[in-house]
Amino acid sequence: MDYHRYIPLVSAPPEKKLKIIEIQGGHRLRKRLFDMGFHKGDEIILDMRGVLRGPILVRRVSSDTSVAIGRGIAQKILVEIIGDEQ
Amino acid sequence: MTNNNYPDIIFIGQPNCGKSTLFNAIAGLKAETSNFPGTTVKHTHSRVNVQGYILNIIDLPGLYSLVPGDEAEKVALSHLFYEKPDLIINVVDASSLARNLELTLELIEMGLPMIVALNMMDLAEKKGLRIDIQRLEKELGVPVIPTVATHGRGLKELLEKAIFILKNGLLVKPLGWSKDVEDGVYRLEKILPSNFPVVANRRFTAIKMIEMGSHYFQQLLSEIYLPLKQVLDEVKNQLESSHDAPAYEVVAAERHHLAMKIFEKSTRIVRPAKRPFLHRLDDLLMHPYLGYLILGLVFLGFFFIVFSIGSPLEELVLGPFEQLRSFLFTNFGQGMAVSIIDGLLQGIGGGLGIVLPYFIPLLFLMGLLEDVGYLARVGFLMDVFMHRIGLHGKSISPFILAFGCNVPAIVSTRILESRRDKIITTLLIPFIPCSARTTIILALVAFYLGPWWALGFYLFHLLLVALIGRVLSFFFKEPSPGLILEIPELKIPSLKNIGKKTVFQLRSFLNFAWPILIVGSVVLALLQSLGIDRILNYGFSPLVVKGLGLPQELGVTLIFGFLRKELSMIMMIQALGTNYHQLMSVITPAQIVIFTLFVSLFIPCLSTVAMIWKELGRKIAFLSVALNLGVAVIFSFLAKSFFNLIGMI
Repeated sequence: MDYHRYIPLVSAPPEKKLKIIEIQGGHRLRKRLFDMGFHKGDEIILDMRGVLRGPILVRRVSSDTSVAIGRGIAQKILVEIIGDEQ
Repeated sequence: MTNNNYPDIIFIGQPNCGKSTLFNAIAGLKAETSNFPGTTVKHTHSRVNVQGYILNIIDLPGLYSLVPGDEAEKVALSHLFYEKPDLIINVVDASSLARNLELTLELIEMGLPMIVALNMMDLAEKKGLRIDIQRLEKELGVPVIPTVATHGRGLKELLEKAIFILKNGLLVKPLGWSKDVEDGVYRLEKILPSNFPVVANRRFTAIKMIEMGSHYFQQLLSEIYLPLKQVLDEVKNQLESSHDAPAYEVVAAERHHLAMKIFEKSTRIVRPAKRPFLHRLDDLLMHPYLGYLILGLVFLGFFFIVFSIGSPLEELVLGPFEQLRSFLFTNFGQGMAVSIIDGLLQGIGGGLGIVLPYFIPLLFLMGLLEDVGYLARVGFLMDVFMHRIGLHGKSISPFILAFGCNVPAIVSTRILESRRDKIITTLLIPFIPCSARTTIILALVAFYLGPWWALGFYLFHLLLVALIGRVLSFFFKEPSPGLILEIPELKIPSLKNIGKKTVFQLRSFLNFAWPILIVGSVVLALLQSLGIDRILNYGFSPLVVKGLGLPQELGVTLIFGFLRKELSMIMMIQALGTNYHQLMSVITPAQIVIFTLFVSLFIPCLSTVAMIWKELGRKIAFLSVALNLGVAVIFSFLAKSFFNLIGMI
């Protein structure tokens, strides 16, 4: 895999369309994220970043719904920038 | 499920899809609802009569999938798997259709008769989703009924369809996946021994065997059905090597792709050109800096609104009660019968004058904040502080519930996976001022000393929670997993909804707390007229007088405070043998603060202790009591020393 094109979600730029490349984590975390509708290949947008290492707010493009994700977890989600929001 | 022959209908769906609202719309007010994911952690039963048919309907906690993660999900699954329902009503959030369909597909695999209630259709339309119901029905192979539970739309059609299916049956067939996954499942299904404990059907059982990662299950399998275990491993390895992902994810991904396909086939998206107003408002509410400013303002506004409604009413109601009491004393003297009637008056007056004027607006405003969806935003904003005090992101939900009432908050710690998080969260919950305690803080501290005192008191309380959390997590060291919290859409509040919820919560005060208050006041009056209160007060005096510097008469109220904290506070006036106009002549402002602080902390109320005992066992319940007592003594003593220092006592 060509890893250097990919960045952890936590350091992705806001308001860009991102594609989930990989979720690096144990069974439990992967299942939780899977259940909440985060899968490999899904498109998401980072909407907001909390202060003081607070959580980030991520919107799923397909359903237009939002989820707050802690920084530690966002560190483990690898994404690729695929374009502007529109 | 039940011993009679009435058909069982199970309501099942993902968190925050409006299951409980739909359930209540059918059953009347039975289940607690909220616009906050994970409110339902226990199931609720109800029996309804629909057109002459009696049905058992059951509301289950929300589930993301049929492979359980936390305890609340396990409860839901055991109902579904072992107590075969006659019909499943799968409640689906239409505004988040793609994701919700994944659970629908999993339910279809069970092959039980089912209906999809496509709920929140109004929200979906607002978001620009145009769902073709017929097409969706055809793709899924089960009936789909659009509903808007908050307005009662579609309920009649849903129930009619339910009765139709109960009478005529419905054949539900699974939808196919990619060939290699299907082949693997079929291979496993074929060799399941005939005496294997099958859940739902053989195919479903085979799928779940692939999806279950449990080490225990694997071990068990290899001991009892070794050949089956070998085939299972082969199938899993095959899937893993050809898809480059763990087998359970391969299956989940199949469902995901199928759900996306069905979603795309049956839905057209007409996105509004401009970002809707509520989204732009959301940007402000969750803004990294402004968000906290707004949170502060909302909190202040909340406090002052409740106070400015409550305090004139308190004055208005207590006045006539005082007149009645003085009328009683001047005309009938001081006999025991008079004391008892006086106790009765104090109990009724306390509930009517001290609790209700604040409690009703407080519940209403809380309902409003929750109904618009603001609580989840608070969760988002507060997570950073939760981590500072060493807590799990998921604990935010029980914490927010605790501001309403500690008891359901403790039940809701079931959504936490590790016992460590459950214990810490449960130990902290009793320190959070619930709506009953907030009422007392407003009715006594704010009423007598002014609203700023009450506000300071409240903030101190919150700081204390943070401090204790920090200390506790020091003892229970373990990295805590992060937050993943669904943020539901903001919505225009429905007054009807909030009104219903306020009534629902008010009931427990009217049915439980108020009667106890009245009986308690009569008992206290009786004790006073027999002189027994002096013995009790004497027993408590080392603590009350020496330790806290309070009038000795307050000792006896602590006994009542164990039942409900607000009892001690309300009965303070009665115990001091005064009336609310003259209270300040027998007690100082500093003493009111110390007493309120002590009572608010000294022990979790009886229902809370009982719930902790039930959920986590006797040891933790005692630990909680001891912790509260310790903290209460230390901080009340510190408060006393502080007031001494600045010369207020």
